[in-house]
Amino acid sequence: MSSDAPGARAALDRAADRMLRATVVERFAIAVAATLLALLLGSVVVAASGYDAVEFVSSLVYGAFGTTSNLAFTLRQSTMLILAGVAVAVAFRAGVFNIGVQGQFVVGGFATAVTVLFLAPHLPGGAVGGVLLMGLGTLAAIAAGGAYAALPGMMKAYADANEVITTIMLNFIASGVVFFVVDRYLRPAGASAPNTETFPEYVALPSVVFDSASFSVVGLGAALATVLVVYVVMARTRFGYDLVTSGYQEPAAAYSGVDPERNVVATMTFSGMVAGLAGAVFTIMILGYYSDPSTFPRFGFDAIAVSLLAANNPLGVVPAGLLFGGLDAGGQYIGFTLDVPPELVDGVVGLVVLFVAVPELFRMAARRTGLGGRGSSESPVRRAESDGGDGR
Amino acid sequence: MSVADYAARNRRRIGGTALALVLLAVLAALFDLPVADLLTVGTAERALRAATPIALAAIGGLYAEKSGVFNIGLEGFMIFGALSAAGAAWLSAGSGSVGQPDLWVGILAAVGVCTLLTLLFAVLTIRYEADQIVAGLAVWFIGLGFGPFTATVLWGGVSSPSLPNIDNVTVPLLAEVPVLGRLLFDASPLVLFTVLVAVAAWVVLYRTRYGYWVQAAGENPEALDTAGVDVNRVRYAAVVFSGAMAGLGGAVLSIGIGSGFTGTGVTMVDGRGWIAIVAYLFGNYNPLGAFGASLLFGATDMLQVQFQTVGISLPGSIVGLFPYVAVLVVLNLVGYTRVPSAVGEPYDTEE
Repeated sequence: MSSDAPGARAALDRAADRMLRATVVERFAIAVAATLLALLLGSVVVAASGYDAVEFVSSLVYGAFGTTSNLAFTLRQSTMLILAGVAVAVAFRAGVFNIGVQGQFVVGGFATAVTVLFLAPHLPGGAVGGVLLMGLGTLAAIAAGGAYAALPGMMKAYADANEVITTIMLNFIASGVVFFVVDRYLRPAGASAPNTETFPEYVALPSVVFDSASFSVVGLGAALATVLVVYVVMARTRFGYDLVTSGYQEPAAAYSGVDPERNVVATMTFSGMVAGLAGAVFTIMILGYYSDPSTFPRFGFDAIAVSLLAANNPLGVVPAGLLFGGLDAGGQYIGFTLDVPPELVDGVVGLVVLFVAVPELFRMAARRTGLGGRGSSESPVRRAESDGGDGR
Repeated sequence: MSVADYAARNRRRIGGTALALVLLAVLAALFDLPVADLLTVGTAERALRAATPIALAAIGGLYAEKSGVFNIGLEGFMIFGALSAAGAAWLSAGSGSVGQPDLWVGILAAVGVCTLLTLLFAVLTIRYEADQIVAGLAVWFIGLGFGPFTATVLWGGVSSPSLPNIDNVTVPLLAEVPVLGRLLFDASPLVLFTVLVAVAAWVVLYRTRYGYWVQAAGENPEALDTAGVDVNRVRYAAVVFSGAMAGLGGAVLSIGIGSGFTGTGVTMVDGRGWIAIVAYLFGNYNPLGAFGASLLFGATDMLQVQFQTVGISLPGSIVGLFPYVAVLVVLNLVGYTRVPSAVGEPYDTEE
């Protein structure tokens, strides 16, 4: 067995590679078509509710890119969506649905806040203290996010509990428990809002390019660096290889000696660590204190759309994150100026997810209209063999 | 299936339930809980009311999954149901105050809207072979976005104004029966209806030809096809039924027992669609079992009130998490349920 292992390994490598790359162009086309169709439907809804659809679209674009401060807001949202999107992608790529990124993000950010608030009095102030506190806070977030994600991983691996449902329940639980602790124990005496104390002002990322209180290019850089690290781990290490093959070819992965249970736990932990990191960036760069998690933006959910649009490819998450960041910023701008409810954008994001789930629809449309033509019949990636694994 | 057979097949389920009961008893003894005060007809009544929306969605979802389509979008359909019920009742009343007939219009509208939406969902998952999990999640997101959006268009805020709910119906004579009378025959008609749905769903699934078709569509679609029954039509019917029931469940939540639509946070549905999925898993795909499991979740949902009445002080935000924790516990106890073997696989007739 061991003598021809390298040969088998190389063959597996090639097979996995082809499956992952063969349809990149097609998937890109589907992603673009899905987004356009969702936006179109969104505009129809806007028009049907009695608003001006053209004004809606132009304000959306202006709100996302029109001014430097709008652009900074877009990049801020994108930073969060890229980080959370990578967290989702890591798991999805391994065939595990981590819908709990929001919860891991909340727990991670909370760990950062607690670390910073409790260590600040014991460490020197100024730049040194700031870097130390942010570093330790980030490490705490990564550890907490990973640990919180390991829970559903273990439940799936050892008790066969469906991870879609466990992770969603853990989202509710994270929000509730963190709110309770913040409200009961971390709220300064006499404060009316359930907020912790604000961080010392030296615990902040320098804004460098944009003059914005809640966006720093350093945060965006951290997100891009994370994308690179995750990409390298997935593409170049044994761990990443096992993870991806077990997502696409479970029998093959088992054949090459992957323990499926441990792999599920490891995948979820890895994904949760990235989600925790997202929580740290959110807490340090955007908030500067901690608050009731049910009032936070639902980055963890939108990240699912980001990851799906990117076909769960860590590198693809960057453009997808930028797109959704723009949509988000544009949507909020619309909420301020047009009296079109900003929730509309959440609905449009949902539509994007829906359309991304139905590649068959676009293939059929392409065939009918005679457009494209490529990848019509030979789509080698039949969606992952469902996850029940009932071995029919 | 004999009792011994059932016990052998469900060792984990039974063992787990027993373990949970023992643990509860130990806890009650340790903390000196006034158990007798906790278990009253009032408790049962509240649990039943809280279970109704969950049970409706669970029974629908069970049919869809039995037929081979995992409708993981129940939560989203419940949001649409809750919203359209409140919206239609409010619109039906015009500028006047919302009366009982308007509420029934709302209930019908919720079922109608959700039937149409699930039909779309069914076309995408069955005809266009969409990934069922992703499409179901999408339904949730769309509900989370368009639910509050529509509320804002209608009412200028994410929640509706306070609306009345449906009057209790008192069945003469039967209401005099101790305990059961008060629970079922002097209650919201929707509670009674849910009980009827559960029983009817059981009869149809296990005692009629259509029920066998549904089961075959999920277990062995090829055989059903060979027998000359259109697999996909059976699936369409089951999925649309699941959406209609989830919509009704949402309507019960907003105007059946609640007082309007709340769109803040994750909306007033608040995870009940997900809990419904666990309820039918725990009930082992049996409609009556699913109803029982929904009662369990309904009871955990009402613990807050119960604790207050007997004077146990636990912070509300923590007690509010009990249903979610219960879901995790149940899901880990039940572990692997035998999912119908063709769930998640689109069925193509050989052309």
